[in-house]
Amino acid sequence: MVAVKKTVQQVENLEKYQHGFVTSIEQDFAPKGLSADTIAFISEKKGEPKWMLDWRMAAYERWLALNEPDWAKVSFPKIDFQDSYYYAAPKERTGPASLDEVDPEILETYAKLGIPLREQEVLAGVIGSPRYAVDAVFDSVSVVTTFKKELAAVGVIFCPMSEAIREHPELVQKYLGTVVPVSDNYYACLNSAVFSDGSFVYIPPGVRCPMELSTYFRINAAESGQFERTLIIADAGSYVSYLEGCTAPMRDENQLHAAVVELVALDDAEIKYSTVQNWYPGDPETGRGGIYNFVTKRADCRGARSKVSWTQVETGSAITWKYPSCILRGEGSVGEFYSIAITNGRQQADTGTKMIHLGANTRSRIISKGISAGRSSNTYRGLVSIHPKAGGARNFTQCDSLLIGKTCAAHTVPYVEARNGSCVLEHEATTTRLSEDQLFYAMQRGFSQEEAVQLLVNGFVKEVLQELPMEFAVEAQKLVAISLEGSVG
Amino acid sequence: MSLSNALLTGDLNQLPGRRDEDWRWTDLRGVIKTAPPRSPIDDRVLAAGPFGSLEGQEILIINGQSSAGLELVIAPDTRQVVRLRLVSTTDGTSHTVAFKVKLGAGAELVLLESHEGLADGYISSVDLDFDLAEGGRLERIVIADDGAHAISVNRSHVVMGPKSSFSQSVLTRGARRQRIETVLVHPGAEAQVEMNGVYLLDGQRHADITTSVEHAGPGGVTRQLTKGVVRDQSRGVFQGRILVDAGADQTEAKMGHHALILSDRAEVDARPELLIHADDVQCAHGNTIGALDEEALFYMCQRGLPEEEARSLLIAAFVDEVVCLIRDSAAQDCTRTWISDARGRT
Amino acid sequence: MLKIEGLRAEVGGTEILKGLTLEVPTGEVHAIMGPNGAGKSTLSYVLTGRPGYEVTAGSAELDGEDLLALLPNERAAKGMFLSFQYPLEIPGVPALTFIRTALNAQRKARGEADVTAPEFMKLVRLRAGELKMDFDMLKRALNVGFSGGEKKRMEILQMAMLSPRLSILDETDSGLDIDALRIVSEGVNALRGPDRSMLVITHYQRLLDYIRPDRVHVLAGGRIVASGGPELALELEREGYDKYAGAA
Repeated sequence: MVAVKKTVQQVENLEKYQHGFVTSIEQDFAPKGLSADTIAFISEKKGEPKWMLDWRMAAYERWLALNEPDWAKVSFPKIDFQDSYYYAAPKERTGPASLDEVDPEILETYAKLGIPLREQEVLAGVIGSPRYAVDAVFDSVSVVTTFKKELAAVGVIFCPMSEAIREHPELVQKYLGTVVPVSDNYYACLNSAVFSDGSFVYIPPGVRCPMELSTYFRINAAESGQFERTLIIADAGSYVSYLEGCTAPMRDENQLHAAVVELVALDDAEIKYSTVQNWYPGDPETGRGGIYNFVTKRADCRGARSKVSWTQVETGSAITWKYPSCILRGEGSVGEFYSIAITNGRQQADTGTKMIHLGANTRSRIISKGISAGRSSNTYRGLVSIHPKAGGARNFTQCDSLLIGKTCAAHTVPYVEARNGSCVLEHEATTTRLSEDQLFYAMQRGFSQEEAVQLLVNGFVKEVLQELPMEFAVEAQKLVAISLEGSVG
Repeated sequence: MSLSNALLTGDLNQLPGRRDEDWRWTDLRGVIKTAPPRSPIDDRVLAAGPFGSLEGQEILIINGQSSAGLELVIAPDTRQVVRLRLVSTTDGTSHTVAFKVKLGAGAELVLLESHEGLADGYISSVDLDFDLAEGGRLERIVIADDGAHAISVNRSHVVMGPKSSFSQSVLTRGARRQRIETVLVHPGAEAQVEMNGVYLLDGQRHADITTSVEHAGPGGVTRQLTKGVVRDQSRGVFQGRILVDAGADQTEAKMGHHALILSDRAEVDARPELLIHADDVQCAHGNTIGALDEEALFYMCQRGLPEEEARSLLIAAFVDEVVCLIRDSAAQDCTRTWISDARGRT
Repeated sequence: MLKIEGLRAEVGGTEILKGLTLEVPTGEVHAIMGPNGAGKSTLSYVLTGRPGYEVTAGSAELDGEDLLALLPNERAAKGMFLSFQYPLEIPGVPALTFIRTALNAQRKARGEADVTAPEFMKLVRLRAGELKMDFDMLKRALNVGFSGGEKKRMEILQMAMLSPRLSILDETDSGLDIDALRIVSEGVNALRGPDRSMLVITHYQRLLDYIRPDRVHVLAGGRIVASGGPELALELEREGYDKYAGAA
């Protein structure tokens, strides 16, 4: 069909990545390469206590003994871990005391990205527009965190990880590495040794966090990796909604982003964690450059009736390799995973989730929508595991893949392990292309073919978009359109 | 890496184990610590097998030894019904079999294949090659009735010509470790593939039904339905892979796996995979695992059925959906009898 | 309004329309009747530009403009509407969103301003009410899980909302019970007007009791083989299509 052919062409003529600019500022780097000295340098830079340095060093020892995994459906040249910087920070103190001290270049960067760093700008917005607090991480350091005072008034701690290590060591020591153990996997172990900044969130018992919290990650420096570490603890009966966004400049080299995110939900607590990932995907024609996004994200639903909901919109990165997971330990705890993964150009994505049902009457729900275009490859890989004590466990999984064009690939690889006689598991998966009949139908009613494609794609991903906080859903929908449509209009 | 290679060479490093992705739920390394001796020649006269009541030629392979040769050729445009009996009679021994089945153009074969364990614990490794010429039609019905302590691997490799048809129904009650694997290259080209299965497990039995269909050409159709019932401490495994090559447009593939877990210590593991490299396809899989439908049970009980009978009826109905897909009606009756016997024995 | 001359069209290499000539003047309703396989649906798809339907000869014009060179959506913006025999299901897209977006896309193509949300909602409520449709149904994904009759009503609602100049109704009566048929026909009749035309494709005369045509044409073997007034439909009902079987 002509319309499909043209669509394929349009998809191929990808709109240029919009966040590919570089901010030129003076930066501090750790010596290139990875060694005990590098780790000591990072720990020193961040003014860490000795226990933290010891923790890092132990992780480094473990990492040296591990081998790189190779089971995902992704392929890339071997990473030279000595050819990268593990710490890059704007030349300044450890952290600016106020926004006025932040390098104007950096402020400009976030303004360009549409991230509000000035509280008054957020406040000055349209009446009724939602407010959200931002932690802005630029390469290896957090440059500013907004609304800290207002949050502190209700007992919420929202600060850079490096600050939490100094100011709230008891919380960090109690929870860090308890969800993702140091030697969990190759990249998590690397992260444990060299992690720089990320966000720390603590919501005290019974508190409903008064605003959305978000972290905005920006890789700027060349030849550097970003290894952020995020830890969110929702104490009994609390609620928090957290969102992260990510972008990076267009560069010819591949840059590694190996983050670890740990979530802990105690009794009756709920964490909603949303990601809009738009790292530079590399050149769509040659596949040069782009971020390797190898991330370990895991939630521990420790408390009874606790709930963690992961929502992700994955449109960027040359390679995405991540499985935000839930350990459903608490009785009646709930895990959810909603995902849109879009690959185009030469991107590769191997993403999905693990739902580990340990406790009785635990429930999980997985909705995954994959769209492959160009010469990309998009894999859903997931595990639903029902342990013997998880009586009454329930899971529903729906994985749909949409193919646009003849040169892309879509894979669905679900693992299901059921070891209890009273569980109920349902899994459905489909792989289809954009329907010519539906396209024609929409065009007969007056849509141009690009509009028709957009309409159908939006319909396809809608179930997941609905799970995002409203103000981000609109953003994400635009991102979906840009990732796929090329020149819309 | 395979059981056959390990047995033939005596090199146990050839055994697949849980670290091999495709064998993660069917670990052979952990259960075979020493290479057992070869099974002896056994020429006793056997009672009829599970398909004994049906017409047709019988090929008997006991402990890996056959007097009738290890190849079955069906001449073009002829039809045959063949009972292929693979019998293991001796505890503590092992054997391998490599058997070839060739269908000429337009030939038709109903293959009634039984794996019969007349001993309790043995190791059997069977490799079957199926080659279907253009328009060839094969209906393969497998009853796997191994001993409770046997280790049994049955691997088939199927190559199909244009417009040929391969229809398979596997029925098994498992073994200590048992794998029934079918690897098939689908040419598209109006060829039809249907692969169905039933596993009924109890005690500590294990059964693994693994299939891999590679759609190499356009216009292929694949239908799969596997159903399982596990009790006690048994473990059912289903792995289904559908691979669609670039250019294999208009492929239509549907795969279903549904299992009932009737005990808190039983286990079902499933991995239904779709690996798609062509866009003009319709592929889907569905997988459900759970207990019997309590509402249906209640409804039946409320109408006067004792609970056990209601359960039994529901389980029979659950499994019978697969049996109904067997095309040869005499074989269908035979398998139904075998299933009710197998369930009666538990 | 619509002028078709010597139209030949193929589907998958098989010629279905074999030199079809037909004219529908502005303000008139014409019926096309014919046996199964005569090419009725093919004609509706060729006129609306469904891919895979290849025109090999002849012409089709709307108000003197060549239709065949236009994309399906461009034809729609010119005012062409096809009520599908088998309306499609569009998962995830609510009917309201679909209709409003379609309406505004057409308006944009014609250089008209968007319909505002309140205007649209007011109108769609009114039209849905006329068609005795449950308004909540419009909030659901378009046609997903709808019965055959509901889908046909949804087609007529879209037609009423888009107010096309030339409507082609392809077997709109199929799958409708007598009450639904009456409601749908009333909906269609409400859209008749001095500047609108319709082409009603049907196998049975029944629909024409409700939607009275100005002219009736018999399509057989890919061509119009007879034309007449409304009485021709009654004659066909009485005598069947046998008489035209050899006409191709």
